[in-house]
Amino acid sequence: MHVQISDLQFHYPSSSSPTIRDFSLYMQEGEIVSILGESGSGKSTILRLIAGLERPEKGSIRVGNQVYCEDNRSFLPVEKRGIGMVFQDYALFPHMTVEQNVMFGLKRWKRTERLQRVDEMLELIHMEEYRKRYPYELSGGQQQRVALTRALAPKPSLLLLDEPFSNLDAHLQQRIRDELRDTIKHTGTTTIFVTHDEEDARVLADRVVLVEKGGVKQVGRPCDLLRKSLQDRYQQTPIQV
Amino acid sequence: MTKSHFSVILHVDDKHSHLTKMIINKGPGIMKMKRKLPTTVSGWGALALFFVTILSLPTLFLIFRVFQPPSENWEHIREYMLQSYITDTLLLALWTGVFAVAIGTTLAWLVSAYDFPLRGTLKWALLMPLAIPPYIGAYTYHGMLNYTGVIQVTLREHFDTAVSQRYFDIMNMPGAVFIFTLFLYPYVYAITRAFFASQATSLVENARVLGSGPVRIFLRVVIPIARGAIVAGATLVVLEVLNDYGVVSYFGIQTFSTAIFQTWFAFGDLDAAIKLAGILMGIVFILLFLEKLLRGRRQFSYSNTKVSPLKPVPLKGWHKWMAVFYTGIIFTLGFFLPVAQLLYWSFLTYEDIFSNTFLALIRNSALAAGISAAGVVIIAIVIANFARMSKGWLPALTSRLTVLGYSIPGAVIAVGVISFFISMDEWLGAFYSSVGASTNLVLSTSIVMLLFAYIIRFMAVGYNSIEAGFDKIGMKFNEASRTLGMGWTETFLRVDLKMIRPAIFSGFILVFVDILKELPLTLILRPFNFETLASMAYRYASDERIQEAAPASIFIVLVSGVAMFIFHIIIEKEPN
Ligand SMILES: Nc1ncnc2c1ncn2[C@@H]1O[C@H](COP(=O)(O)OP(=O)(O)OP(=O)(O)O)[C@@H](O)[C@H]1O
Ligand SMILES: [Mg+2]
Repeated sequence: MHVQISDLQFHYPSSSSPTIRDFSLYMQEGEIVSILGESGSGKSTILRLIAGLERPEKGSIRVGNQVYCEDNRSFLPVEKRGIGMVFQDYALFPHMTVEQNVMFGLKRWKRTERLQRVDEMLELIHMEEYRKRYPYELSGGQQQRVALTRALAPKPSLLLLDEPFSNLDAHLQQRIRDELRDTIKHTGTTTIFVTHDEEDARVLADRVVLVEKGGVKQVGRPCDLLRKSLQDRYQQTPIQV
Repeated sequence: MTKSHFSVILHVDDKHSHLTKMIINKGPGIMKMKRKLPTTVSGWGALALFFVTILSLPTLFLIFRVFQPPSENWEHIREYMLQSYITDTLLLALWTGVFAVAIGTTLAWLVSAYDFPLRGTLKWALLMPLAIPPYIGAYTYHGMLNYTGVIQVTLREHFDTAVSQRYFDIMNMPGAVFIFTLFLYPYVYAITRAFFASQATSLVENARVLGSGPVRIFLRVVIPIARGAIVAGATLVVLEVLNDYGVVSYFGIQTFSTAIFQTWFAFGDLDAAIKLAGILMGIVFILLFLEKLLRGRRQFSYSNTKVSPLKPVPLKGWHKWMAVFYTGIIFTLGFFLPVAQLLYWSFLTYEDIFSNTFLALIRNSALAAGISAAGVVIIAIVIANFARMSKGWLPALTSRLTVLGYSIPGAVIAVGVISFFISMDEWLGAFYSSVGASTNLVLSTSIVMLLFAYIIRFMAVGYNSIEAGFDKIGMKFNEASRTLGMGWTETFLRVDLKMIRPAIFSGFILVFVDILKELPLTLILRPFNFETLASMAYRYASDERIQEAAPASIFIVLVSGVAMFIFHIIIEKEPN
């Protein structure tokens, strides 16, 4: 579903200056957009606003033909938005098995459909034999896959990922990244993911949004944007071994 | 007992300062959309406010009635007695505070900074005196020291010496200070030791490197940096002294607690009792204010990023044995000796005492404590969840009011609750007669009154535990659940509640044990013929049947001792 975000404005109660200012973004259905920026630039906050975990002071968010929020007038609570979110540390429910975690968002489905969906999803990530395990019995990469599956299972209209690879070591990161791309493309879900790794953005994203101090600095295709910044970097450090 | 127990007062103050105003819907909008979240929040909020109001009503009632025109008795009390109530209460509190601080901080420092034989065991053993309620300690010591007690008998029979009775009399002011100090110093000890263990120790280590001697370091560095912790511990000690009824009435000392009891029971003058309670509450508020002042702005948080525990320095030679002797003697006096004596007396009397009546006592105690503890935990969960789901002054105020009861002395709560229930009965009188009741003292003679007072008094203990549980899991699971389509209430039931189970469990146990030991509320508010272990032990003791009081007392001591031990293990084992 297409996404239309315009002029978001937000600040945390404890900060005096706006955390997010005039953030706008338009996305086509099925597009994968990466939000790139320095630490503290407001990337996570943007995702929280889209998810409905924070409430913007100004601006609007529409997904498909649903209005998520519009200035101060309307605000659709998180649980009504039908978004999927993967948290930085996954936040898998420790008291539930893999299967129960994945099923958590399917409570309004019919029982047979629910079971079928869980099978299908676990198959997709090749984790059928782990269905009865608890999160602490899984490796980091497996947890990440379960978290992704849990978010995708209810067929969200929009998927939000907050630094999904930051807890993984480098070579695992690559594998999971490819898997993630396949999974997302397979389901055709519109996706926004936050990262500060340019390689992530290059491999995964159709488009990249560079944020700085809570606002959009640049938008473009990864190959255009990132090549340029790589060039900048090479110019700064000309000696390469 | 556990940290959460001790931190009752410590953390309340600065907890919610960061909460700021919730952004609420303004202006017109799409009704259907904006309604859902506020409805759930306000549902929880309404329930939380309802509980807080009910719990604060007796106190508000009391404050309101303090200003009513005085009775004749009151003029008499004010003119002839009030001054001595005030001086005796304050003297008792002050001296106990001073000695408890002296013993508590030196012990905590010794155990934290030095290594000596048995240190590992003594570290937690020094907490154990807290398992003995002071009133039980008081009559145990009296029993040991009096003419037929173990000490005088030994002296007479084995050493053939008879010392003047004067030296064995502890039923006076110094005696009460001794008892309170011995059984309450662990508050200071525990908080300061936790402070030494968790706070930056670089200051101390620097001082060591710079060549300051140990005494100098203790007085010039340790005491000043631990000031907040010491003041917090001392405040808890003083609050316990003000709360006490058992020790002072047994020793015949006139304090506010005993005075409130007398005016109410002997003179039947509730109005005068209310006035006394009002003054005592005023003293408590001044105390809490002083605490804030003394603790300073820093609220004893020197926490910096690198927390390295202090490395204990091994003691050598006679220093080593001095340390063992000092810590050992405090443990012996504060726990080992009284427990041994109680066990011995129980051994002498258990055949007469262990009967169906004793079982009934256990059942009464367990039921009263169990029901109230469950009430505390449920109310605490509702209020803590409200405080966490919405921001602003309202939830902040709510959680503050919730923990207020812990600083209010039992006698004050009792008077507030009684007058509140009597008014309720008057108000419901017409209703009672319409359903054909023969009396219109229904609520005020029922056990509901006692359970209600327990809940007010120990709310803070349960609340702190639950709140710590919520803090520990944080918001991320809750948020994850809501992004998966669960509302607040569903999330609470399916995620939060399951995850805070350990906190619920420990909150319940802490409150349960506290209620088991509780005396003043129990004595004033228990229904006719309803005895608990605590009230029965006290009754036997005040009838000078000290040996018969032992089985009930040892039961209380063992249950709280075991609970403390378990918590100690949990806390020590738990990774940071
Ligand atoms: N709960 C909060 N309360 C107050 N300020 C916050 C809160 N969360 C974040 N901030 C502040 O808002 C700004 C943006 O934070 P945000 O977490 O969105 O950054 P980020 O781009 O995700 O950074 P990182 O890459 O380190 O995760 C920061 O300055 C941060 O200090
Ligand atoms: Mg972030």
